[in-house]
Amino acid sequence: MSAGPGATRPSPGGAAAPAPAAGETATLGPARSPGRLAWHAFWRNRTAVAGMVAVALFFLGALAGLVLTKGAHPLLDPREIRLPDRLKPPLAPPNREAVAVEHRPRLGRYVLGTDELGRDVFARMLEGGFVSLSVGFVAVGIAVALGIVIGGVAGHYGRVRVGVGPMALTVDTLVTGLIDVMLSFPTFFLILTVVAVLKPSIWNIMIVIGLTSWEGTARFVRAEILSLREQDFVQAAQVVGASGRRLIMRHLVPNALGPVLVSTTLGVAGAILTESSLSFLGFGVPPPAATWGNILADGKRYIFDAPWLTLIPGTMILLVVLAFNLFGEGLREAFNPRLREG
Amino acid sequence: MVPFILRTLWKKTWTLVLISVVSFAVIHLAPGQPSQIDPLNPRFTKQQLERYRAAFDLDRPLWVQYGLFYQKLFTGQLRSFKDNQPVLPKIGERTWNSLPLFAVETILVWCYAFPLGIAAAIRRNSLFDRLTTVLVFALISIPGFYVSYLAVIWVVEVFQVDVLGMRTFGSEGAGPWRAVMDRTWHLVLPSVLGATAGVAVLSRYVRSQMLEVLDSDYVRTARAKGLEEDSVLYRHALRNGLLPFVTMLGLLIPALVGGSVIFETIFAWPGIGRLGYEAILNRDYPVVIAINFLAAGLTLVGTLLSDLLYMIVDPRIRL
Repeated sequence: MSAGPGATRPSPGGAAAPAPAAGETATLGPARSPGRLAWHAFWRNRTAVAGMVAVALFFLGALAGLVLTKGAHPLLDPREIRLPDRLKPPLAPPNREAVAVEHRPRLGRYVLGTDELGRDVFARMLEGGFVSLSVGFVAVGIAVALGIVIGGVAGHYGRVRVGVGPMALTVDTLVTGLIDVMLSFPTFFLILTVVAVLKPSIWNIMIVIGLTSWEGTARFVRAEILSLREQDFVQAAQVVGASGRRLIMRHLVPNALGPVLVSTTLGVAGAILTESSLSFLGFGVPPPAATWGNILADGKRYIFDAPWLTLIPGTMILLVVLAFNLFGEGLREAFNPRLREG
Repeated sequence: MVPFILRTLWKKTWTLVLISVVSFAVIHLAPGQPSQIDPLNPRFTKQQLERYRAAFDLDRPLWVQYGLFYQKLFTGQLRSFKDNQPVLPKIGERTWNSLPLFAVETILVWCYAFPLGIAAAIRRNSLFDRLTTVLVFALISIPGFYVSYLAVIWVVEVFQVDVLGMRTFGSEGAGPWRAVMDRTWHLVLPSVLGATAGVAVLSRYVRSQMLEVLDSDYVRTARAKGLEEDSVLYRHALRNGLLPFVTMLGLLIPALVGGSVIFETIFAWPGIGRLGYEAILNRDYPVVIAINFLAAGLTLVGTLLSDLLYMIVDPRIRL
């Protein structure tokens, strides 16, 4: 990236010498780095950019939700119960006779209405946005970390044998066997089983989704490393004496990150949908914490009296998942030269 | 070819053993005991609990329980915690109920996903391609449970007809023609809604697979020697492009259980997914373990079959 030492040094003698030298070094390197090419391809894809912008907005909204709804006296209280103001439609003003000033919504009106306990849906959606975001990212973080480690070990130490005598198996056989086992289970049913056995908590849900969705990443990383390790730069690093860990972490994994980034983005979308499906079936994040899934699940009993209770979270889940999916698909096309051209 | 099959079978056997361990461990390694199915029930005295634990081998060490569980499963003696009925006939009956739903759904998915994906690949980057891309991702991103819920309410409100379950309540005495039509109608909504996400996902795979094939040398050669475009697309590209989808036949099987939990629960369809959901709610562990194990085992058989099928259709694999 840097222009080299020659460019910054003031030219002592002839004025003609340094300028062409700088030009030569520029033409020697690749005209455009692969990362820059991918970025250009991504930028041209309008739907993907729209997805990225929507994802960024969702991030900002979720962070705002964290700031505005957390603490003992939050600015917007998602847990404030106002029984006189049950099931108010969006933009309805509070009942001035029954609700004291300090319990009225800060914005003067219930922007997105209230639920069956008179809680402000806008505040609950803000709180739930951050919960959904963290479920998505922690679950996928666990899955990707596991996938990188397991896939990396299988790719790099694949030929190492473990065990004794005729029972010895290669690491690669063990790992691909484990992946086969995990892929055989009906994932959603397995998640449901484990979540039902464990105590209902947001952490358990994140961990379970993470532990059951690492196989894709592990396969990508393994395949990528198998092809990368035959390349010259890896052999050069080996010759110089790089350790196995350094080789995996500094040389192999960073080069395999493209597909991992794609599966991360798509995985967040999947995790948000899974959490809301679990909530819908009654196995989700327990109350009083709000997630979009359990706002939707609780609201479905009032679908005729208060359709906004399901319409708002349902639409938001759709939009956010769609944004992550379009963003991820754009990344996939940008990182894959074969899909890029044309 | 024979050594390949033997090697595959040997590997799959070990995978099956691991699957049996995981299915069992998922329930038993969790904190809390399976015998605490109803800890709040005041009629569940300590003596009853002991008798109950003995009846279901819960007082034995874990590895003995594991052996006994699968011995009982395979000999058909395994009984449900909840109603003490044998597990296998129960699962069999519910799977039978799920089959029509699964079959219609699969047919819908394959009939719509292929034309959609192929058309998008041929007209790459056209308006059609971009519109289908957004549409497809919208279909993937829809929370299916919510849309199904809305659809049930809408159909019942507007058309005043029954949509839940496999047949209209109280229609037992109707003639055979009416019964068939009633059953068909009850299939429509759950299968269409269950298939939408499948159509979307599969059509993306078809599209990228077709793009890859259209980019290959033999398609360029076919074009260069002046073949008609239709012949290039359908004889040269499509036939090669379809090959990998043979392997997807095996991966359909987990969808029979996993994919149907939500839709069968919403539509009150007495199938295997709903049985699993009810068993989880009732903490009926023998049924839960058996469903997990059988689903994973069936998937394994499915992948074995698709490996063999792949070997038959693609001579390059035959080693």
